[in-house]
Amino acid sequence: MIVNRRRIYIIPTRFGIALALLLVAMLIAGLNYNSNLGLAFGFLMVSLALVAMHHCHRNLLNLSVDAIVEVDAFAGDYASFEILLRNQAAIDRCDLEIRMDLGGGRVAAAVHTALMSVAARGYQHGTVNVPVAGRGVTRLERFELRTRYPFGWFRAWTYVHSPLTAFVAPRPVGDRALPSASAALGTAAQSEIRGDEDFAGLRAYEAGVPLKHMAWKVLARGGEPAVRSYTGPAAEPEWLDWTALHPLGAEARLSQLCRWVLLSEAAQRTYGLRIPGTEITPSRGAGHRSACLRALALYPPEASA
Amino acid sequence: MSAQPQSGAPTAAAERVTFDSLLWISACLALTLIVGIVALPVWIPLTVAASAGIRLVRASRGQDAPPRGIRLGIAALAIGLLFLQFRTFNGLPAGTALLSLIAGLKLLETRTRRDIYVITMIIYFLSLAALLEGESFWLLIYLIGVCWLTTSTLLRLTSSARKSDWRGSVRHAGRILAQALPLAVAFWLFFPRFGGPLWQMPDNGSNATSGLSDSMSPGDISSLAMSDEIAFRVRFKPGSGTPPPQERYWRGPVLHDFDGHSWRRTEAAAVLAPGLRFQGPAYRYTVSLEPSRHNWIFVLDWPSRWDAERAYLTSDYMLMEPNPLTQPIDVTATSYGHVQAAQPLGPGMRRRDTRLPAGRNPRSLQLAQELRGAHPDDPGYIEAVLAKFHSEAFFYTLTPPRLAADPVDGFLFDTKRGFCGHYASAFATLMRAAGIPARVVTGYQGGTYNRFADYWILRQSDAHAWDEVWLEGRGWVRVDPTAAIAPERVEHGLNDIVTADNTARFSRWQQRTPWLGDVWLRLDALRLLWRERILRFDQSSQERLLELLHIPEPDGQKLALVLAVCLILGLTWLTWQVRRELRIGPRDPLQRAYERLCRRLKSVGCERMPWEGPEAYAVRVSRLRPDLAAPVMELCREYSTLRYGAGAGAGAGAAVSVGAADTGRFSAAVRRFRPRGSRASS
Repeated sequence: MIVNRRRIYIIPTRFGIALALLLVAMLIAGLNYNSNLGLAFGFLMVSLALVAMHHCHRNLLNLSVDAIVEVDAFAGDYASFEILLRNQAAIDRCDLEIRMDLGGGRVAAAVHTALMSVAARGYQHGTVNVPVAGRGVTRLERFELRTRYPFGWFRAWTYVHSPLTAFVAPRPVGDRALPSASAALGTAAQSEIRGDEDFAGLRAYEAGVPLKHMAWKVLARGGEPAVRSYTGPAAEPEWLDWTALHPLGAEARLSQLCRWVLLSEAAQRTYGLRIPGTEITPSRGAGHRSACLRALALYPPEASA
Repeated sequence: MSAQPQSGAPTAAAERVTFDSLLWISACLALTLIVGIVALPVWIPLTVAASAGIRLVRASRGQDAPPRGIRLGIAALAIGLLFLQFRTFNGLPAGTALLSLIAGLKLLETRTRRDIYVITMIIYFLSLAALLEGESFWLLIYLIGVCWLTTSTLLRLTSSARKSDWRGSVRHAGRILAQALPLAVAFWLFFPRFGGPLWQMPDNGSNATSGLSDSMSPGDISSLAMSDEIAFRVRFKPGSGTPPPQERYWRGPVLHDFDGHSWRRTEAAAVLAPGLRFQGPAYRYTVSLEPSRHNWIFVLDWPSRWDAERAYLTSDYMLMEPNPLTQPIDVTATSYGHVQAAQPLGPGMRRRDTRLPAGRNPRSLQLAQELRGAHPDDPGYIEAVLAKFHSEAFFYTLTPPRLAADPVDGFLFDTKRGFCGHYASAFATLMRAAGIPARVVTGYQGGTYNRFADYWILRQSDAHAWDEVWLEGRGWVRVDPTAAIAPERVEHGLNDIVTADNTARFSRWQQRTPWLGDVWLRLDALRLLWRERILRFDQSSQERLLELLHIPEPDGQKLALVLAVCLILGLTWLTWQVRRELRIGPRDPLQRAYERLCRRLKSVGCERMPWEGPEAYAVRVSRLRPDLAAPVMELCREYSTLRYGAGAGAGAGAAVSVGAADTGRFSAAVRRFRPRGSRASS
């Protein structure tokens, strides 16, 4: 989204209001003492404030703001939204602040630097960590981009309407051991299973494939992105199964499953997820992990407790 | 997934001030305080310097402000001390002192940006307070400079990046200030002025007077003669002539009471009509007086009309202002070189102006009696006294010997050396001794003509004293006994006749290096211009300004209208400026053509992602819209060739012109390319 003239609001800050009062006092003093030099100085300050207002407004104008939508988070943790500011103008944009109104008077600001600057014809990333309490989907309808540049006398802001969605997976807790592949029954020896051992050829790229399996040379030659495929007596896929956690309550099971997903991914195993209503076939990689976490996030809260 | 706790508002660390901004704000405060440092009690700048020093040392060690208890204690102590000294916080000197002190103490407790904001506001107000008192062009320039630095500090305070780039922030603040200047000029020119003050402020308490006073003792005027200080400037109106040197007497305090040593002024009643018949040519002129903290206005002998509203004429023809002149003022007046009294001298005034102290200056009284015996008629007697000054060995000197108890006797019979005051005093004594009403008039005589801007400069060194005697049938007649001893004094001014080393500094310079005098005169012409055009800018100047703009019947409303028009023009100009800076899309035609292609593809649902290069984009578009694949591939490939291929961006030479032709072909092709329909897949 490009910040539009009509969408920028501007008001004096507390300091700006104090300055306005001071300016009025200065002008009255100048008039009262009949001092043309005093008036000249007072008017210079008034004009400076007017010009500063312009610069404050301009600091946001025509800035392009994009939010990277759909991020993953864990309950009780933070969802990190990435916001990309692009400045196509020939002037620097300074002191930009990103804020998200979380309701109830709580506000989240960008991490690392409270204030960001975007160089002329440059771009800048900002990360906003929003605390997420419960499992499910958290939506933020808009966030605020504000600035007090140049002198802190005015605050200009704009609302960027960009629905941000965070899939909040359950909190990854649980003390059950990871089900080993041998323990998982049923889907036994499949020769087709993609393993780690032997190179079997190339297949088309799909999202979520581990980077180390990418066929970079193919890509470098100008071909389609491709992935090296391997076969072999790989580890049996392990099923992270809802039913295996029988005595636990629904949320506890989800939390345990979430932990297993993270552990399996960290151990580079092939895993599948089975929860009531959803089954994700075994695979691995960031895309697979994300799909599993989202499935856990979207599990209806009290439907089958 | 990174996660870190954070507070809602920008973190406290960001609000904490740095050593750098503390240093800057301390420097700005120091620069502001320097202006008024003479008027402040000594301990205030010391306190401010100490608290700035303490805070800076603590900051350089990474420490915070001193504990709250200490700060409060110091503040209470200092402000209490200030009150004991001034007994008030009202008025400019006390207010300035208080603000300076608060700024210094605020510096001591500065922790966050908000504290610095408070200090900047105090700096702005102190600058204004200095300008309310000051009148100098350089002061204005200096304080605008300080304001610039202070504003740069503010800029650095809000700026996130460029911690060490002070040059950049000063330059940037300077640009903003420069943009504000035209608006400020418009405000200053057209903001309606009021006639007088909105309310009277307490006088600032200083009562150091300058120039002539309302008494004259032997030697008073010769001490003034050392001073180059300017008393006033006079510009004669066009059309009105300039009086000849022997008529350029600028009338000041008229002294009546003589105690044998000093002459004093007695309060004279105001008169509505001076009882004079004006004769001879009329001179119209404007006197620009420097603040003397006396009530009198120096006018040419003899004033008939003046434009100072509250000024009045006394019975001895002094032009008086009810309040002491603490500000420079301009008075336009009309004077006539010759007058004749319309009424006889009242008995009270005759008694006052013939009174001599008993038992003082006996030898002078003796002399008067002898001379009076020989010349029973008044004009003859006056001639005889002047002839005595002229013929005997009297000398005109800036450094007369000290005189004892009876100074007139001592001067007339022993030393015979004196300055104008001695002659005026002796002459009036001799007149009164013979029963002729006489009084001493002090003022200025002569002056320096500034040929570069056609006006006269009257310095303290032009101070003079002369006499007036009452002649039956003619009234008060000016007699200048100095002219009898040193006529050149009246003709050419003091500098030409006194060559001793103790004349005023400027005169010495001028005598030795004439061109330096010219430079000085040109500078003074600028000073007068500054004063006439800037400092004295008022309602009537605004009216003239509107007349220049061909606006009939100027009034406050029309002024406000003109101001509004100027502001709208100014802000429009600013907006235009902003537009120019923000213009999206470079001038590069190749880039423009490529962006047009991207726009057209976006309109059919294939937006280019910011990270996509032309080739990858084309591949993706082909996948989304197979029907567009061929032209898009072709166009994107051509763009990459033009942009990145051999010869592209090589800079100079034939490659550029070839490139230009290719670019033209490419942009024409883009213009012809009109994709239709929406994204097929999705």
